[in-house]
Amino acid sequence: MGLLSTSGSFTRYAVVEEMTGQLAAQLPELLARYSFRDIDDTSDERSYGWVCLEDWLDPFWRAAPPEKAHFLAFSLRLDTRRVPPAVFKKHFQLALKAEKEAMKETGKTFITKDRKQELKDQVALKLRARFLPIPAVFDAVWNLRSNRVYLATTNSKVKTLFEDYFKLSFNLTLEPLDPYFLARRLADASRHAMIDELEQSPFAGR
Amino acid sequence: MDLIKAALQAPVVGQDFLTWLWFRSEKNGWNFTLKDGGELNVFLEQRLSVRGGSGENVEKAVVTGPHAEFTEAKLGLRNGKLVDKSLLRFERDGNTWMVLLDADSFSLSGLKTPKIETRLEDGDDPDAAFLEKMMLVEQCMDYVDELFTQFLKVRLSPDWNDELRAFREWLEEK
Repeated sequence: MGLLSTSGSFTRYAVVEEMTGQLAAQLPELLARYSFRDIDDTSDERSYGWVCLEDWLDPFWRAAPPEKAHFLAFSLRLDTRRVPPAVFKKHFQLALKAEKEAMKETGKTFITKDRKQELKDQVALKLRARFLPIPAVFDAVWNLRSNRVYLATTNSKVKTLFEDYFKLSFNLTLEPLDPYFLARRLADASRHAMIDELEQSPFAGR
Repeated sequence: MDLIKAALQAPVVGQDFLTWLWFRSEKNGWNFTLKDGGELNVFLEQRLSVRGGSGENVEKAVVTGPHAEFTEAKLGLRNGKLVDKSLLRFERDGNTWMVLLDADSFSLSGLKTPKIETRLEDGDDPDAAFLEKMMLVEQCMDYVDELFTQFLKVRLSPDWNDELRAFREWLEEK
């Protein structure tokens, strides 16, 4: 979903650590270091990393730099290989059959649990290599002045991945600006204990 | 950063806020004064959801419609439910923003800003459209922050009981 499209969904974060000029100067390099690596020619289950906001096929920022005035703009690309469960089931059954055929020669009939798991892993690996990963892209914008980050999704799995990968890439912590954390940021420090203890108000009366 | 505390308190604060915002915006004639002295019109639009109970006993009522009076939602409020999602329309100086705000997380879904010009002409800054869009997106977030600040001011003061009394009178009006 492009940031410039008519309507977009956002999750807001505040970066806990302070922004310094030195840190801001390092960010483009860190983006490049933790950029997306393609897995089309592998059997890897998934891959994720940063790509250029203007061109999600570009992990080198050749199309445009990430710096835009006091913003740093980039996208999180996540490629995932999904083997449909029915396809996996079929090929696992085939592998079991073949195994039983092979066992006939040695006179055995029982397949151990460990061997079954081994077959499962082999089938999964073989099938994964035959399926192309499905790409997904999520835009992110970092306001370096206010040190806030906007992620263009509300999907909780993507949010968790983004928070973890952000920490890994920049060694910075994201605080979600949910009502609790936002209240603590907007209200006076003397009110923090009160926010911690608030109970739902009896709007309709008791 | 206490994430467990946040998980417990965020829905409490968020639902109180959206419930208050419905009442306060209607009471104010949909008009709020911002800290820069300007005025912001805040309307609740087409889609509103109220929630009550907890755990397995959660009950929800979602009201939609172009000219929804929210009668069902108000009935929900009377039965102790609170607003947990609301489609908001902000208007200022002829510009309009729309956003679906979630009470638990404050995630901003389907945020629509005023239209921007995305076609570039010769000599234009290639980032012009991006910067204009970001300014408009952040403006919407600022409006949410300002309304939330106004809420916190009364919520965290002894005046909250008076506010609740006024709320109940409003609730009985229709």
